[in-house]
Amino acid sequence: MRDFALWLATTSPSVFIQEHNTWAIPAIQSVHIVGIAMVTGSVLMITLRILGLTWTDQTLRQTTNRFGPWLNGSLWLLLVTGVLMVIGEPVRELVTFSFWAKMTLVGIGTIVAVIFQRSLRRHERHWDEQFLHRGAIKLMAVGTLLVWMAIIFLGRLIAYDHVWGSWSPAVNQ
Amino acid sequence: MDSSLNWLQNTSVAIHIRDSLLLFPLLESTHVIGLAIVVGTVVIIDLRLLGLATTHRAFSRLGADTLPWTLGGFAVAAVTGALMFTTNATVYFHNTWFRAKVLMLALAALNAIVFELTARRTLGDWDLRRSTPPMARTVAAISLVIWVGVIVAGRMIGFTATRASVNQTTPQEPNFEDLLGLPK
Repeated sequence: MRDFALWLATTSPSVFIQEHNTWAIPAIQSVHIVGIAMVTGSVLMITLRILGLTWTDQTLRQTTNRFGPWLNGSLWLLLVTGVLMVIGEPVRELVTFSFWAKMTLVGIGTIVAVIFQRSLRRHERHWDEQFLHRGAIKLMAVGTLLVWMAIIFLGRLIAYDHVWGSWSPAVNQ
Repeated sequence: MDSSLNWLQNTSVAIHIRDSLLLFPLLESTHVIGLAIVVGTVVIIDLRLLGLATTHRAFSRLGADTLPWTLGGFAVAAVTGALMFTTNATVYFHNTWFRAKVLMLALAALNAIVFELTARRTLGDWDLRRSTPPMARTVAAISLVIWVGVIVAGRMIGFTATRASVNQTTPQEPNFEDLLGLPK
């Protein structure tokens, strides 16, 4: 991975970002944070609806119709800005424990988001009449929200990978 | 002013955070979670006011669903932000981006007050309507710009202000001289 990161750092898109890093890196990171905020707001509202705490005048389908497209759009925005950050600072991102732990959780969070939206489209009545009353579903909703919170933590910890001690490849070189 | 900033960064809380490897990153992460909840919920409200999303739902209901989270998220961001500020108060205080961020937060508050004093007073007329008063749309557009500005300024602080040095015996960063085999 270190070799790949070092090679990536020599490619022209990477060199471009590195040469303009004083504005390019904070600009990309800022757009990334806007995306994080949109995902957080959307996931929070859908979770609260599943828990029956807010949006109770709307069905789950109505709530998800409102937030689903914004959630998906923001996830694409995060993917694009995230890839740009990796291209711009390959070693700093790829040679860390935090990045790969984060990517694992991003994979889980995205799969849950896709399965949930599909299942809701196919079994709308089941969701509103049965699933929403199940403790396991509520627990999963809270768990998914916590996964996204953990993703935010790990994202920030990429800059501080030494906190993982010997787990961090940046420390163990 | 500088003497009180100096006092602040020498309080036991500030020293404790500075001396810990873990506390500052944890404060930063929690700050991001707080601000993500603030901006995420503010965007929901602004898009409703602009007629771009949730247009079928009463504004008052939407506000009741989001406002507690906006305020709660802000409290988290404010506390973690204040704690980070203490670790290097003199540097942050004189940092241009930090000042820009504080100014924009004040403008965000002013913008919210303008909304309360204008469009909010006629809420009964437009609560259920997609179309909102021009003042509501103006406030919403300004709000979106301000909050993106707050995020940009916040991120720039990290790139322009020198982080407080951490007291530690082992090097935290890889030693590039050793890595590249350069003579000492």
